[in-house]
Amino acid sequence: MDEQTAVPFIDVTREVDLAARFPEAVIVDVRKEYEGYIVNRDRLIEVATAIRDELGYDYLSSVTGVDYLPDGVMEVVYHVYKMTGGPGLVFKTQTPRDEAVVPSLVPVYPGADLQEREAWDLLGIRFEGHPDLRRILMWEGFAGYPLRKDWQEAYFEEEGKPFKNRWPDGQVYRIEDKNPYENNVQYPADFIPEEYEPENDALLYDSLKRSIRGRDPELETDVVMVNMGPQHPSTHGVFRIAVALEGEKIVALKPVMGYLHRNHEKIGERNTFLQNMPYTDRLDYLSSLSNNFGYALAVEKLMNVRPPERAEYLRVIMAELTRISNHIFAIGTFLNDLGAYFTPALYAIKERELILDIFEATTGSRMMCNYFRFGGVTRDLPEGIAEKIHRLVYDRLPQKVDELDLYLTNNEIVRSRTEGVGVLTAEQAIAYSAAGPVLRASGVPYDIRRADPYSIYDRFEFDVAVRYHGDTYDRYLIRIDEMRQSLRILQQAIKDLPEGSIQEGKPQYQVRVPAGEAYGRVEGPKGELGYYVISNGKPNPWRYHVRAPSFINLTGYETMCVGNKVADVVAILGSIDIVLGETDR
Amino acid sequence: MDLGLWIEWIVKAIILIVVLLIGFMYLTYMERKFLARFQNRYGPNRAGPVGLLQPMADGIKLIFKEEVIPKQADKLIFILAPVITVIPAWVILAVIPLGSIQLFGRTIDFSLAGDLNVGILYIMAVTSISVYGIVLAGWSSNNKYALLGGIRSSAQMISYELALGLAFVGPAMMASSLSLARIVEAQSKTVWFAVLQPIGFVVFLVAALAEINRSPFDMPEAEQELTAGYHVEYSGMKFAMFMLTEYTKMIVVSVIAATLFLGGYHFPFLTDRWPWLGPLVLFAKVIILLFGIIWVRATLPRVRYDQLMALGWKVMLPAALLNVFITAGVMYVLGMIA
Repeated sequence: MDEQTAVPFIDVTREVDLAARFPEAVIVDVRKEYEGYIVNRDRLIEVATAIRDELGYDYLSSVTGVDYLPDGVMEVVYHVYKMTGGPGLVFKTQTPRDEAVVPSLVPVYPGADLQEREAWDLLGIRFEGHPDLRRILMWEGFAGYPLRKDWQEAYFEEEGKPFKNRWPDGQVYRIEDKNPYENNVQYPADFIPEEYEPENDALLYDSLKRSIRGRDPELETDVVMVNMGPQHPSTHGVFRIAVALEGEKIVALKPVMGYLHRNHEKIGERNTFLQNMPYTDRLDYLSSLSNNFGYALAVEKLMNVRPPERAEYLRVIMAELTRISNHIFAIGTFLNDLGAYFTPALYAIKERELILDIFEATTGSRMMCNYFRFGGVTRDLPEGIAEKIHRLVYDRLPQKVDELDLYLTNNEIVRSRTEGVGVLTAEQAIAYSAAGPVLRASGVPYDIRRADPYSIYDRFEFDVAVRYHGDTYDRYLIRIDEMRQSLRILQQAIKDLPEGSIQEGKPQYQVRVPAGEAYGRVEGPKGELGYYVISNGKPNPWRYHVRAPSFINLTGYETMCVGNKVADVVAILGSIDIVLGETDR
Repeated sequence: MDLGLWIEWIVKAIILIVVLLIGFMYLTYMERKFLARFQNRYGPNRAGPVGLLQPMADGIKLIFKEEVIPKQADKLIFILAPVITVIPAWVILAVIPLGSIQLFGRTIDFSLAGDLNVGILYIMAVTSISVYGIVLAGWSSNNKYALLGGIRSSAQMISYELALGLAFVGPAMMASSLSLARIVEAQSKTVWFAVLQPIGFVVFLVAALAEINRSPFDMPEAEQELTAGYHVEYSGMKFAMFMLTEYTKMIVVSVIAATLFLGGYHFPFLTDRWPWLGPLVLFAKVIILLFGIIWVRATLPRVRYDQLMALGWKVMLPAALLNVFITAGVMYVLGMIA
């Protein structure tokens, strides 16, 4: 009780003035169309602690770096939010490019763990004090930091698209014909590619051994290291889990990712703004429309446009249908992970199919929808589709969700396999920056649609689904709850769908995006999906960063798993619901 | 010895093996077809009419597969392991009584040794051997998943064999014999033992599912955790041998269940009048039991290893013991035993 009363009272309504609180360490970011504060890196931890404890920004949403090559500066950008809702706070810290070192914020926000490793791997910013600063997305032995602006990939052509004509004088040439070792692949002088043998995973195993905990002190046993994946039937793709086992019990676990890494962000920075839209489809390839949504919001903030009424409704309808299709699929595959032989999965896929039919009719594609545009959407609903959605959300889907609930929720084996397994407490969930169903199943009623409403979500009546045990079972239940809430939103949206135009202004291939920065975030099916976009007025974004929920939700994975059995690793992973396209980017 | 008896044995053995092989092939087909229907899809329907040639296609495919033996594997044991698992599954069927007819002036028993006076002990002894094959396969593959699968499987078999053995005791007590033929006879005089021994029947069914590594107790080969468990390194025909064992054991366990608890080859009125129907009656009972096994697989998720152990030792074993005590008590009260 004493400990609880010792926590200072946080006045959530108090105006933030960080610069006044730390006059010599913090200045307001005054660059045009930029917001937030710039913190002196020597006092970063102190300021971050104050932001968390005094101002109440307890949730670190996103950490990323930006390479300002012309200024010779690297900047690390932090987006923090309050779990009680409301807009967020941005603070940044700068470091010289040649020797980029920043103190790690893992002691303050444990959720920075994987994100700082990513920034180290891709931008070469060293985070001093990080407990486990290893590569995360690139492979061992990769030379260079690919997201730095002076790094050029193999077959590099030009800085930004659209590229020049590849048919000069009617003569076709392919960039691949160029010798890749000519001048655009960088490797150390004494490096001979033919003789290269990849390093083993010594660093990974060291880190795994260091984090072993929960061993029985009285039993003399050997710890067995098992690599689940990257080729494994239940990792939902090429994901690898290095586990240390004592018998069947897990004593340490490290997720290893990056097998599907394609440097989405670098590609995004070469693309024009609009060309990125179809690329976002490929992040979480099961819910492309939500991905579109976040990116469109971020760029619209920069452009300062808002879509017309009908387009807003169409966006919400599509995003909520995506959520249902994602959750129903997640539940199906989750049951598969528990060992149910495909039966629930196939029944779930049947319903998902009906939703995909609607996507196909409207957007032209079942999964890679590419539907959103800045200030609108590409196509209106074809004839008859509105009625189809109406029938689906009023009759068929509510019934089918109830059916799933009826057959699965009280199954004896499902309950005994999941209840009390993989617990993440509310405090841990916030600290590890868990998002979406994982966060809400731990008893934190935080849903961006309510906490920081975007688009027209403030008009609809729905409840934020929340469960309180934080175990695998609750992470399953919350998806059922969320489908019901999504159906409520859909029922209202399809009823009120107004007539009118679907695109603000006229559709354009090349949009003009004024210089500035913007962070657009949506409540995706898997959690908070954020896009941090910086424009410098050119046709291509200067920085394009994706805050991927599948990726960041894995930060707490080890905590959930340690102490449980091997079989639970799979069940817990299924309950987090990751998609590797988004995890690895 | 009598030459006629030899010929009879050889013919019966060949028939039995052929029946088992065909049974294995078409059990895979049946399982795939039923699972498909449970799951809203069609199942195999390309090879032959309604996919009836699918098992042949699978077999031909497996024969032509490359036989990979891992470099670090213990070769001899690696090759031997599938054989050790498959033989016991086949020889169990020898003691199943199938009824008899009068032909050529002598009584021809359809089974090989249905009248063996220690039939139940024989079954217990032989089923336990096949676990060696699984453990050795897991160990010799030099693969951690395989090893985990092998270890799981040995622990599981030991735990469930106890309950299984005790479930055998009930029918044996009621028939006052260890011979399967006597047990079937005893049932033909009263009613099926499934009615008189409900607890024993349920314990037997559950323990049998665990014994043959079928869902929801398919721990040793849990796909989601251990990729394929003990046979992860096997390919081609060696892999097929493991599959053969699994499906043969499904058949065998169903046959034993039918014999011990569902009256075996006997069906009231039917087989009394036409004794040659015996094998067909047994066949029908086995098909129904197999359907149940497949149904369970399509329906239930897998239990966890520790839960499986807890179920085996804390629920199944006491229930089986209780069943033996109750049976003995009731028989004593009724004066059936001294």
